[in-house]
Order: sequence, then structure tokens, then C-alpha cells
Amino acid sequence: MIDPYYLQQLAIGLSQGVIYALMAIGFTLIFGVLNVVNFAHGEVYTLGAFVGLLFITAFAPPFLVVLFVVLAAGAAMGVGLERIAFKPFRRFSDEASLKSRAMRESTLMSSLAVSIVAREGLEFAFGSQMQTLPFDYLINKPIELGPVTIVTGDVIIFAVAAIMLGGLQYMLTRTRAGLAIRAVSANPLGAKYVGIDTDRTIITTFALGSMMGAGAGILVGLYYGAIFPAMGFVPGIKAFVAMVMGGLSSIPGAVVCALLLGLSEGLATTFISSNWADMVAYGFLIVTLIFFPQGLFGAGRERV
Amino acid sequence: MSDFARKGWIGKILVLLLVFGLVPAALAFAGKGYFFQVANLVLIFALLAASLHLVTGAAGLLHLGHAAFYGIGAYVAALMGTDLKLGFIWGLPAAGLVAAAFAFVVALPTMRLVSIYFAVATLAIGQMINTVLLNWVAVTKGPNGVMLFSGINLFGFALKAPLAVYFVVAVLVSLSIFVLHRLSHSYYGNALRSLREDDQCADAMGVNTVRLKIEVFTISAFFAGVAGALWAYTTGYVSPNDFGFSTSILILAMIVVGGLGSLPGAIIGAVVLILLPELLRGLGDLRNVMVGLVMFFSILFMPKGLFGEVSALSLVRRGFGLKWGAAPSNREVGWQ
Repeated sequence: MIDPYYLQQLAIGLSQGVIYALMAIGFTLIFGVLNVVNFAHGEVYTLGAFVGLLFITAFAPPFLVVLFVVLAAGAAMGVGLERIAFKPFRRFSDEASLKSRAMRESTLMSSLAVSIVAREGLEFAFGSQMQTLPFDYLINKPIELGPVTIVTGDVIIFAVAAIMLGGLQYMLTRTRAGLAIRAVSANPLGAKYVGIDTDRTIITTFALGSMMGAGAGILVGLYYGAIFPAMGFVPGIKAFVAMVMGGLSSIPGAVVCALLLGLSEGLATTFISSNWADMVAYGFLIVTLIFFPQGLFGAGRERV
Repeated sequence: MSDFARKGWIGKILVLLLVFGLVPAALAFAGKGYFFQVANLVLIFALLAASLHLVTGAAGLLHLGHAAFYGIGAYVAALMGTDLKLGFIWGLPAAGLVAAAFAFVVALPTMRLVSIYFAVATLAIGQMINTVLLNWVAVTKGPNGVMLFSGINLFGFALKAPLAVYFVVAVLVSLSIFVLHRLSHSYYGNALRSLREDDQCADAMGVNTVRLKIEVFTISAFFAGVAGALWAYTTGYVSPNDFGFSTSILILAMIVVGGLGSLPGAIIGAVVLILLPELLRGLGDLRNVMVGLVMFFSILFMPKGLFGEVSALSLVRRGFGLKWGAAPSNREVGWQ
């Protein structure tokens, strides 16, 4: 029989991994379509948490309403982000410039600049300390489950993530919008030639990805009871790591790697202090890059 | 135009006059320690941006962990100064060499990666080094940082006056930037640019790309380490927070705002991004927002930066005279 302590750590790691997965999907969707890294994704997560917080303190609505409002806000943020930081740099639509380095670098820097403005703006408005949350909304009431104690947040996060992932998978494979996203990510120019509105598809992708990021933000905020302007940085990097490990353009790969990261961090904290647990993620990343440069689940890429 | 002006000497002399004459005079006139600190900071970040320019601007490798090597240099200098009682004379070269050695070891496995994979690898390396600085309490004192009281001691002369410290920093930074300038504006620099434009083609032409990448990464880390030592000795305090991801991004922003691929651009970018928050001090906490906005609008409206590579190279080409031949100067050189 396994020591219940390890089961406990596994449960913690799993819910952490699910959060990383929600973030990683947004990264991967956007990377798949535009071939660029969206550095502002962590700030979408933070902003999602803050929108939820403001909404809770203003109206005190039920939990599900908060979640839906945050998701809607996340979608709006995605659209806005695309308009501000990505659209102005997509002046040309031929394939060479869509995949070109100049575009990639400039959007990378512009999303970074937007993320700095968002984070510093939040710090200016709210201060850098943690915000206080109404106690009723925290999702950390314990549930005894045999030898393991989990909290309601674990269940909620897991359920929400499962619904979102299932919905996304359904959308990507069964609906016209999802097919358009996959077409654009496979071949932007070809998609344009067969009559797909690439601009709209890209906006849809941003809305979807940011929705998941913002949802993850408010869930984590309520789970830990900690909402502060810099909260998006570490999950953002972990999600980035998961995306690279999963092979950059594979959503299932990113999800599996995110879960793997969460679990290994959860287990690592039993052996080493939690300060060093971050090393596990970075170590994984380096090892993956050196030995499996295409990612663990990536399709064959030309060069890495 | 006379030969003298054509070789770009006027600009260089003006810059040297500014750094060694005008600024110290103004500083001595103002006489406040705070201004000296800002001036030293500008110089140190100019060196950091110039060293990153070699990797990211010239060789086209997106490096997201530069601050970590800067941090290694600062910690080596500070720890040698406090624990081993070895002063500035030993600390400065040691800081550069240790950072370079680290970079060399790290570079061996990662330098075969290209584009975004390289960027991610350097990001992870930077974060790992920062985690070690933060958590290896036995050596680095952890989040408390290291205090360094000894000050700069040059061959028995203890330099206490802020003006003297400024001159030491200015001389060292100018020498380092001169070396970086020679590296980037020479046939070696052209080899680096060939790496950036098309590394497969460069490989086919007989350029040893992997070796070149390792070399340039190591050289750049050496100068980052030197900058770290200067930082440790001018502020007297190092803490892990100064060497995190945001510092790496700040340095990257400097070379992007100044003009990717141009050494003068990198230095101008450093000056702008360090002085701007100080000038905007009146805005209080909003000044960091302003930095982000400046970055955003400079990318949007000046994609080539304040002082782009084309103008920088044509300046140097004039300096080289006929040696570089009559290459058409209106050809686009840059990040394709």
C-alpha cells in the first residue's frame, strides 16, 4: 500500500498540473495558429483573477456566474490583445512573412510590452500585495476521501478543466470554427485560398486561448486565496515549458506534459524544499530540448 | 568630407568627450550620490546591452537569460570581496571568467538548438541560475543578498570618491565596448551575421556555426560577468531579484528599442531605458507603465529601432574605407 502522504502529494500535484494544462492550451493554440509566443498570456491569467475579484466584491454573485463572467472577460481580453499586440504586425499575409522571423520577434516583443503595461498598471491600481478575498468564495473546504484529504477546489478545478478540454476537443474536431483553426494552423496561406477568413480565425483562437487562461486565473485565485499582480509569471513559464515539452503544436501533448510537470513538482516537494521544486520544471525542459528536441509528442518538425 | 570625418572619428570623440568630460563635470557640479548611481547604472547597462547585442543582434540568437550571467558575475565579485577578501583587481576578471566558464559549459549541449528552442533553453538556464542564487543559502546568503563594503581598491589606492568610482566604471565599460565593437564590426562580426541570416547556408559555406555560437555566447557572458562585478562594487549590495527574468527582458528591450543588430543602437537603448524611468520619477508608480508603453510604441512605429543596423553598418563601412568594397549601401540588412 502506498503511503497516504504520497497520494496526498499526488493529488496536490494533479490539481497544479491541471492549472498548467489550462494555461498551456492557450499558449499552444496561439502558437499553432500564428507560430509566435504570446508573452502576455500570464497577464491574461492575472487579469482574469482580478476581473473575478472585482465582480465578487461588487455583486457577490454565485460561483458559476463569476466563472462565466471571467470566461467572457477572458475572451474579450483575447480579442483586445490580438488587436493591440498582434494585428498591427501582420501587415502582409503571404506565407513567408507569416512565418518570418521579423514578425515573430516583433510580436514577441509587443506582447511582452503589453504584458508589462498590464502588470504595472495593475500594480499601480491595486498595489503589489495580495488582495483579500471574501471567505465564502474560497474553494478550499476539505473533503475526506479515505486516507487522502482533498479540498473542494481540487474537484472544481478538475471538473472545469475536464469540461473545457472536452469542449475544446469537440470544437476543434467537429465544428466549422474549430476546423478553420486547424486549417489555419496547418497552412495559413492554403486556408486563405480555400476561403477561410484567417483574421477571424486568429481572433477566435485568441479568444479561446485567453478564455482558458482567465478561467485558470480565477480558479487558482480562489483556490489559494491569493490574487496579486505578479501571479501570472510562474504559471506562464510552466505552461510554456509544458508546451515546448509537448512539441509546440500538439494540444494533447501539452496537456499530458503539464500534468506530468504538476505531478513531478508535487512529488519533488516531498524530497526537496519547495523553493527548489522549480528546478524540476526547468531541468525537464533542458533534458527534453537536448534529447527529444521535437518534444515528447510533437509531430516531426523540419529543424529544431 | 575630409578623411578624418569620413572615418567616423568625430562621433567617437564626441561620445568620449561626453562620457569622460561633460557627464563627470555635470555630476561633480550636482554633487549628489544619487546621480552618480544613475550614471554608473547607465554605463553598466550599456555594457550589458552591448554584450547581448553580440548574441541577439549580430548572431541572431534570441537570448532570454542574459541577466543570469550578469548575476553570476555580481555574486562572484561580491563573494570574493567578502568571504575571500580578494579585492576589485581579482574580483573583476574572476567575475568575467566564471560567468564565461558557466556559459561555455551550458552552451555545449544547447547550442545546436535554433530559433524558439534556443530562446526557451536560455530562458530555462537563466531561471535555473536565478533559482540557485535565491536558494543556495549556504553560499549566496539566499534572498538577503550579499553586502560588499570594501569598495574599489586599485593597487593600494582605495577609491572612495564617487567621481573616481565613476571614472573606473567608465574606463572599463569603454574598453569593453571597444572590444565588442571590434568583434561585431569585423570579419568575425560578418560571420556572426551570416549565422543570423541563414545558418544552414553559412554551414555549407564552411563557417563552423556551432563553434561560432559557443564562442559568441561565452564572450557575451564574459562581458555580462564584468558588468555584474561593476554593479556589485558600485552599489555594494547584490540580491537575487536584480538578476531575474525581468532584467533579461529589460536588456532585450534595450537592444530592440535601440535597433536590433546595431551596437550604437544597443547603447542608445540602454541609455534611454535607464534614464527614462528616472526622468519620469515625477509620475511615481506610473513610470513602469510608461516604460512598457515606450517599448510598445517603439516596436510599432520604429521597427528598425532608434538607430538601426543599416545606418550603423554604413557608418562603420565608411570607417573601413575601401576595405569593405563598394557594396551597395541601400541594400536591406537586418532581420528578415
